[in-house]
Amino acid sequence: MNLNYVGLVAAVSTFAGVWFGHVAVRRIESISPTIWLPTVVFAVFGLYFEWFSLSTSDILLSVATGILGFTLLWDALEFTRQQNRIKKGHAPANASNPRHARLLRDHADATTLDLLKRDPVGKPVTPAEAVELVTDHSLPITNYS
Amino acid sequence: MNFIGLTLGITTLLVIGFGFVWVIRGERYFGYLWWPYVMGSGILLVIVSLLVSGVWVSALLGAFGASLIWGATELKEQAVRAEIGWYPFNARKILPPFAEIIEKRKAPHL
Repeated sequence: MNLNYVGLVAAVSTFAGVWFGHVAVRRIESISPTIWLPTVVFAVFGLYFEWFSLSTSDILLSVATGILGFTLLWDALEFTRQQNRIKKGHAPANASNPRHARLLRDHADATTLDLLKRDPVGKPVTPAEAVELVTDHSLPITNYS
Repeated sequence: MNFIGLTLGITTLLVIGFGFVWVIRGERYFGYLWWPYVMGSGILLVIVSLLVSGVWVSALLGAFGASLIWGATELKEQAVRAEIGWYPFNARKILPPFAEIIEKRKAPHL
């Protein structure tokens, strides 16, 4: 039986691209003194991948780089979105990063706590309970630094 | 010039974008305990993508399958976001079969 590997390559590229972006954007945004530098680097790699995808005659390589390139271009924008999450306290700030230290000072909702690092409890929680749920009987809070 | 990768890349971006929508809505109305069914459906779609002959059909099945598998790992975190109040919380969820058993297992998160 002949198997069609285009879908598998598309699936692996999509999953790997999303996973890499998910982890890399958080970690890099957390430690980078600026967000424009990683934005430019990711955009350049994304464009290079798209150029490669257009110029190769290998369909599987074209599919993989075409998908990975666009997820990298999306990640470039995510650095700004991630910084906005830090301002709102939706993602943990890294106090040892001077840029994040400024965000912590200027935005009342910014926090070093990762409020999502817990299991669901099945009911709405107050802001105080949201903090208790990630600080009580849990491991020390760790930042991506 | 080989446009398959570029056009598929743009399409995959839309598939991933749709992932944001169904993870948010799906968690609100059905709850995160559906994750094993969502993950299973994703794996099934990737397997089917190997068996179809068309390039685009196979690619789209693969990309959508992968986004289902990823979304399954995002449902738990989305449930916490709704509990905190970052998204509307709905208490009357339509639970999946074997919800009690699924609840005892640790939901995956990457």
